[in-house]
Amino acid sequence: MTSLTVTDTIITQARSEGRSLLSEVESKNLLVAEGISVTDAQLAKDADEAVSVAETLGYPVVMKIISPDIAHKSDVGGVVVGLADSGEVKSAYDEMMAKVSSVASTARIDGVSVQNMAEPGIEVIVGATTDPQFGPVMMFGLGGVFVEVLKDVSFRIVPLESRDAKQMVREIDALPILEGVRGQDGADLEALETLLLSISELIERRPEIAELDLNPVFAYSNGAIAVDARIVLHSQNDV
Amino acid sequence: MVVDRDRLERALNPKSVVVVGDKGPGYMWLSNMSEYTGKLYSVQVDPNEIPGIEEKNIPNFSSVAEVPGEVDLVVCAVPRQIAPIIIGQAIEKQVGGVSMFTSGFAETGEPDAIELQKKIVDACVESGMPLVGPNCMGIYNRELGVKFSNQQEQGQGSDLGVISQSGTHGIGISLGSQRLGMKVGRTISIGNAVVCNESDYIEYLIDDEKSPIVAMYLEGVKDGPRFFAGLKKLAQKKPVVIWRGGGTDAGARAAHSHTASLATDTAVWDGMIRQSGAIPTESLEDTLDVLAALVHAPACAGLGTALVAMTGGQSVAITDQFQRAGFDVPELSQKSYDTLGEFFVTIGGSYRNPFDAASTIRSETENLEKILEVLAEDSNIDGGVAIELTTAGFDKEPERLAAQLDLLAEYRTKTDQPIVAMMPEGGAVSGQAEVVLAARTKVSESGFPVYPSFRRGAEALARVQSYWSWRYSL
Repeated sequence: MTSLTVTDTIITQARSEGRSLLSEVESKNLLVAEGISVTDAQLAKDADEAVSVAETLGYPVVMKIISPDIAHKSDVGGVVVGLADSGEVKSAYDEMMAKVSSVASTARIDGVSVQNMAEPGIEVIVGATTDPQFGPVMMFGLGGVFVEVLKDVSFRIVPLESRDAKQMVREIDALPILEGVRGQDGADLEALETLLLSISELIERRPEIAELDLNPVFAYSNGAIAVDARIVLHSQNDV
Repeated sequence: MVVDRDRLERALNPKSVVVVGDKGPGYMWLSNMSEYTGKLYSVQVDPNEIPGIEEKNIPNFSSVAEVPGEVDLVVCAVPRQIAPIIIGQAIEKQVGGVSMFTSGFAETGEPDAIELQKKIVDACVESGMPLVGPNCMGIYNRELGVKFSNQQEQGQGSDLGVISQSGTHGIGISLGSQRLGMKVGRTISIGNAVVCNESDYIEYLIDDEKSPIVAMYLEGVKDGPRFFAGLKKLAQKKPVVIWRGGGTDAGARAAHSHTASLATDTAVWDGMIRQSGAIPTESLEDTLDVLAALVHAPACAGLGTALVAMTGGQSVAITDQFQRAGFDVPELSQKSYDTLGEFFVTIGGSYRNPFDAASTIRSETENLEKILEVLAEDSNIDGGVAIELTTAGFDKEPERLAAQLDLLAEYRTKTDQPIVAMMPEGGAVSGQAEVVLAARTKVSESGFPVYPSFRRGAEALARVQSYWSWRYSL
């Protein structure tokens, strides 16, 4: 029952602060507690803390802004990858704070998340949202910056059956990319199906979750891991 | 409200019908039901209208209560202000259900009209009365002769049932199917669907013998989860074709997540339909194309098709379309080639699959018989035969086409594989327009799906094939 406790705590905490958007660190802690494979992210509230987290995790690391007011971190200079040593972490922290506060001057900043830089894989997006007509639905597509332009995504209603997950992964136009192009390794489609099914189960189990993005998920020839995560809760009145 | 199945059963298969408020000069509703096999009554209080009704020998009364015996269906065609009164009478009489042609309710957006509709709905819900509509064409029952268009056929048998949120499209699917040689057992035009909604009808159709195949036109649904659950059940039991109109690509709402911003109305709907196992279509002709393949071709999940065209150019064109639609056009066995080589005219012709066959079968029908015998024996062909039929000479010698159709029917019975008739403009389809039409009609009436283009035929058959392959995998 420990997993429920962690999830309950995170949800209760956010609600007590009147927030529906969970931070990346909260989202990932929740997902880890629910058995979903994500890169470990830890909160650091200043440059020194960021360095000490990085030292513990080992280099290279990724740093991302944590703010309840910023939904699209990379748009405001809130994501830096490939930081190789303590000097880079320190200066990245200072630069990020300067940049974010100039671009998004009113945003509350809680700090940054520091995490291991995952081995690059094929980027996909796995998501869930609440459709006004059909309730909770799941989405799958090729990730990265073009997802909103190409709209090459598939949807299914929660709960998913394994057949649904199979179809979701295979019906996008970009399937050949997942299957591997020019001799490159393809993505582990079964791992992606498993991920879809476990998110579907999570959504069923935790009706408090209104929206969820795992974007990107790095898909490897063996396994897949969510590199960024965002969870939005239903406002308490909706549930 | 979840509608009582027994009452809905009575309303959809009525032994007695009361038409309320029909008007001259045409008396549309009473005329549509001139061959109705049950007891037909009229309720009309307008002295100007009553003589016309009496002329038709239809007993007229001044209220539903006065009608003798049990009433299964009330067809309500009164002005909207009167509608609540008729509903009250129907409730008191404990009729099976009411089909309400009367319009001018919530669909107008006027506050008074919305209020009026609410009054009707509340009365129906409280008394458990199935209301079809309002703002609809209501009920067609082929066997009983309950009709909402005088062109609707009457008789035994049924290939499909139709549900339509639009009266126009309900008639379009209904009459279009008839024209293609299909028997529409019932059609329900559901209108505003405020008491009986699309989910009630879907749940009814799951066990409805008059609807071995279901075609639907919908714009939206009232209760998404219930609709999805019902549709899933229905599609697992029988083929369901859904044409949806009026979907929007507008993003769901201002959203925090990529997923929510991508979850447009149409994106979620498309996923829901795929998940349910129903076959999505995009237009009336698309719907009819798929229905023809469902009704007139045996259930078949095979992908290996034999393509028989009349010329070299058409044999390439038909192959392009079938491959694009996902079919295989496999080579035949050596044994097949050996047999074909004995009689096939290869000067200006080819039998590799696709077939370029005019010089072999145009006048010698027995050669078609030999080809079909070879194909029936060849295990590479498990997805049926698509054949280009010619109209040339149909006016003078219709028996040639009839003989070809007999052979094709024989192949179908023997193999349980689809036969798809291709009659595209140009190519082998030539002659006067009325001859072409007569030839196509002959093919439809003989129980074959017939298409005016290779593309439409291939795409329709592909969706039907993928439905059966899904069904067999369950």
